[in-house]
Amino acid sequence: MSCSPFDLKDYLFGALREAERRQVEEHASGCQTCGEELDRLRLTEAALRALPDEEPQRRIAFVSDKVFEPGWWQRFWQSGPRLGFASAALLAVAILFQAFWRPVPGAAPLEAETAAIEARIRAAVVNAVTESEARQVLKISQAVAETEKRIQFDRQADRVAFEEAFNLLQKKFNVMYTASADLGGSR
Amino acid sequence: MIFREVEDRDLIAKARRGKVEAYNLLVSRWEKRVFNYLLRLVGEREDALDLSQEAFLKAYQNLAKLEDAGRFAPWLFRIAHNEAYSLLRKRKPEGETLREPSQGAQSFRMFPVELSLAVRSALERLSEEQREAVVLKIYQGFKFEEMAEILACPVSTVKSRLYTALDLLKETLAPIHARGVE
Repeated sequence: MSCSPFDLKDYLFGALREAERRQVEEHASGCQTCGEELDRLRLTEAALRALPDEEPQRRIAFVSDKVFEPGWWQRFWQSGPRLGFASAALLAVAILFQAFWRPVPGAAPLEAETAAIEARIRAAVVNAVTESEARQVLKISQAVAETEKRIQFDRQADRVAFEEAFNLLQKKFNVMYTASADLGGSR
Repeated sequence: MIFREVEDRDLIAKARRGKVEAYNLLVSRWEKRVFNYLLRLVGEREDALDLSQEAFLKAYQNLAKLEDAGRFAPWLFRIAHNEAYSLLRKRKPEGETLREPSQGAQSFRMFPVELSLAVRSALERLSEEQREAVVLKIYQGFKFEEMAEILACPVSTVKSRLYTALDLLKETLAPIHARGVE
């Protein structure tokens, strides 16, 4: 018969608070009867735990029942990763199609249209080049005309300046000649 | 332990959406515990295995009724308990009580260790209710509240069954184990 303040089995199975556990431990350490009873309970628990668990001879497993399973589209919409993967796959297919797709040989209307476009492009290029060349020729001829005009003007200005200088020199000579004649005539 | 609980919850959620693979994983985690619990109640391996399978099947069928996925273990063991007692009632001949030792004594003799034999023998001498209380506490490690949930009775009743069983076992096992230790 135990005289412990609390049930020793409650102590054994951890059903006591910490303070209560300490009281039981203090009591059992001083009471031979309760100490021995606690030892017997511990030995009993240890003996019980010595019994090993067994492995089941075969594993339990269940197979899916189609009737209760959600449909594939329900699983698809419920799965974010699957949905994302499908979107990425679709995008990849579209890119590949765009990259490797070529027009079918013998598609006459398409070829004729392409040729017409190319002809229009060539004509536009030729036209643009011609216009550009004409503009360049005009600019050059204008520049040449301006240069000739400027040269002619400069030449005329030089001639005028020369004539003026010559006239001035002639006048000076006349003055000197007159003065010399005056001096020689008086001797 | 917390991580494990979260994982179980996740598996339960998937199983509820019809993912049988998730439920099979859940079964693989718990089948050994359920099997050993049932084996110690009914004593026969084949019966324990059949009951385990039946318990897991019923659990799967009623998974939607499990309100708190964190209480999966007590809920599952409650189902296993019902399966075991259904079998024990069928086994019991007219006028015979459930206290009678089960017929699985031969299977226990397979274990060579003397202590194991003594423990099995001592467990068989307990009543079904006492043995189940010992199995749930000592071997399955359930708390008293969880045991009360599994056995559908008050905690005080659970304790009473367990402590009475322990007193009976102590008379048989403590001297044997003490000798073995020495």
